[in-house]
Amino acid sequence: MLAEIGPASLALALLLALYAAVACLLGIGAGSETLLRSGRNAALLTFPATLLATAMLVLALMTEQYQISYVWSVTDPQTPAIYRFTALWGSQRGSLLFWSLLLSLFTFGAIALNWRSEGRLMPYAIATMMASLAFFLGLSLLLENPFERWWILPDMPESRQVVERALIPAGAIAPARENLAASATGLNPLLRHFGMIIHPPMLYLGFVGFTIPFAFALAALASGDLSTGWIQATRRWTLIAWIFLSLGLILGGRWAYDVLGWGGYWGWDPVENAAFLPWLVGTAFIHSVMIQEKRGMLKTWNMALVIATFSAVMFGSFATRSGVIESVHSFARSEIGFPMLAFWALMTLIALTLLLWRWQRGELRGEQQFANILSRETMFVLNNVIFIALFAAIFWGSFGLPIISELFMGVEVTIGPATFEFFVVPLFIAMYILMGVAPLSAWGATSARRLGKALAIPLVLTVLSVLLLIIAGTGALVSILGYGAVCFAGYVALFEIYRGARARHRGLNENWLRAVTALFRRNQRRYGGYVVHLGVTVIGIGIIGSTVFQTEVQHSLARGETIAIKDYGLRYDDYIRAQAVDGRMMNIAELTVLRQGAQVARIRPRVDDYPDMPMTIAGAHSTFENDFYVLLLGGNRERATFRIYINPLVNLVWWGGIVLIIGTVIAAYPKVIPARRVRKREAEDSR
Amino acid sequence: MAVVSWAKPKHLRKRKGSERLKFLIGGGLILASVVYLLVSGTLQGARYFITVDDLLKDGAYEGKTVRISGAVDGETIEYDSENAIIRFEIVNIPGEFDDLASALRAALANPAASRLSILVEDEAIPDLLQHEAQAILTGALAPDGIFRASELLLKCPSRFEETSPEGLSAIPEHN
Repeated sequence: MLAEIGPASLALALLLALYAAVACLLGIGAGSETLLRSGRNAALLTFPATLLATAMLVLALMTEQYQISYVWSVTDPQTPAIYRFTALWGSQRGSLLFWSLLLSLFTFGAIALNWRSEGRLMPYAIATMMASLAFFLGLSLLLENPFERWWILPDMPESRQVVERALIPAGAIAPARENLAASATGLNPLLRHFGMIIHPPMLYLGFVGFTIPFAFALAALASGDLSTGWIQATRRWTLIAWIFLSLGLILGGRWAYDVLGWGGYWGWDPVENAAFLPWLVGTAFIHSVMIQEKRGMLKTWNMALVIATFSAVMFGSFATRSGVIESVHSFARSEIGFPMLAFWALMTLIALTLLLWRWQRGELRGEQQFANILSRETMFVLNNVIFIALFAAIFWGSFGLPIISELFMGVEVTIGPATFEFFVVPLFIAMYILMGVAPLSAWGATSARRLGKALAIPLVLTVLSVLLLIIAGTGALVSILGYGAVCFAGYVALFEIYRGARARHRGLNENWLRAVTALFRRNQRRYGGYVVHLGVTVIGIGIIGSTVFQTEVQHSLARGETIAIKDYGLRYDDYIRAQAVDGRMMNIAELTVLRQGAQVARIRPRVDDYPDMPMTIAGAHSTFENDFYVLLLGGNRERATFRIYINPLVNLVWWGGIVLIIGTVIAAYPKVIPARRVRKREAEDSR
Repeated sequence: MAVVSWAKPKHLRKRKGSERLKFLIGGGLILASVVYLLVSGTLQGARYFITVDDLLKDGAYEGKTVRISGAVDGETIEYDSENAIIRFEIVNIPGEFDDLASALRAALANPAASRLSILVEDEAIPDLLQHEAQAILTGALAPDGIFRASELLLKCPSRFEETSPEGLSAIPEHN
């Protein structure tokens, strides 16, 4: 039953999406309000229809319907309930359906929030969102159907082979359930981790979320309504997508750190990079859109950035899901490669053509010109240049170079993590310096003297911090430069918050807490932005600490033996083999972590034996200062071998991520509540 | 009566011109730096991604850092955990294939396929290093014919994707 209702609701959602797109376009052409409303209603209905299809798949996963090949391939009878649920995005087919669900949800939200305020843009925006949704639903229905079932055809019962079909083949019989259950593959053990429960949904929310700003940009270009309306609608949706993508990237790093067992969290793999690329362009847009709002400049550029962000999402999805790029994370090679490439190219082409058309007509001309090299708008443009340079470098290394060399030289040329670091380290240092300078320069024009005066205190604090680091024994030039730039950005953000609060404290006689709260409330975007900068500062400190100063050693220990690593001690106490409730055998080493002779923690690195592969789980003792991270490589009760990492300041990467999210929520939050209040007041007045 | 002119004063025109020049020089310098960064990094760090066949047939690759891909023969995996040394053999898989899982299986079933011994030092054994995994290795072929890898990535498509249940009983649960 589930396998029938699921595809039927998928087909219904597809028809609704197609109808909504066509009705909106025809409605615009004919100027028919009825058609537009009908299109809108159909677009709203795609959400419940896709939700029903997704619910059917989740139900199939939870109730172990192994005849559905997706259920068979990602779960087995031993899979715990939580991973049955998360198996929805555990593989290609389910994750495509999940993508559609999120897109229909975002569309629902965009219509609910923007239909009244952006009436002229919405029909075009709905048509764009629905075209995108129809594409993904079409993929799910025609090429990667998650409801396909195993069947034994009438002419092959002896061969014991099965075929995968969405519709029941004539005369086919269903394989016995117990046999299917016994041979079910189960979820990849690497995906059985807390990070994997929420990392993919966050990442997808970020990816899918960028469809909405793109739809508004396309709507503005198509309708010719290039006033600030599209910018306002787009900015908030971009921030929402950006929060989720940031969270997805951070959680992905945390998952890699906990599960992949190499003591790191970012490997410069093409799939990781594909997720990072839209983040870079999106970040550039979040900054440059402010110039358009404040000064009416960079209109073409902002449009180009929104288009590039969506295009990067689509290209990344194509690269990851088609299997064309060699990566440890990529999905298996599938038939969706060409359609995805075509869709990406088509959407990008339509958007760029519209952009070029409007640009040629002079409708995107800036209202001001760059007048001063030290003005805030120049700094923001420089910031954009850095983000685009980062984008270009990472894109070049991950996709450009391999594809071009393959095409023109007949052999694929790639670069490794060291070269990516060579590219990005100077660019990130420049980014942190700009993060410090830009907020202190003024719109329009700033004199060097005024800027120098504003920079004085943060600069003095930075120099003092760097001197302290050198005295503490930090010798590496790159880390001194890096810490200098990162600290500078952080000090500027802190100093600006302090300056604003001090002005209120002195001028309005508010106490400090009230002054800070009022400051944030009055200008949430600006001060939320500073909190984001603080988060990025904390992340920067963590990244430099955990990469430049990482210690990595390997030791074989006899039971009871203790070794010293820096100021830590590690004692091997015992080795246990135990069976988990899901049947896997766990090989657990019991270790005591000592510091200056005193016991500080007991850790249990282990290796779990799954039927298809082992899985190494690190044991870690985390402090503010560092992570003492141990992997069990092998051994027995008498002797075992461990790989030990000391990762200084690594936890700042995660904590910085939390600060960044808090800052973005503060920046994205304003005006929603006041607007509601105003509406409520208006409603009360009218009564 | 004051005389008003719509023409911009000379000193302002000059200032605007000099600002534009500053933007041009600044922009040019930034662009040149980024291009230099990309070109020099690529020239230093570029590595050919080739097949085992390419590596063994073309002597020019010997001693050069390259990236290769091959199918892991599970029976050859040896791990010295005390010294963190991994040894195994990979079998050539063609540069172009439709389905990775089938390509890996076919490569390992082909006795004529060229094989390469791999040595990875100072590495923890990856969980995915198993029979029929695809190994993507960065390193160099030494004169002794052993490929010394400094980086090892693995994919196990056959474990989790695109497989079908085999050996099923034909007894139907329902029609």
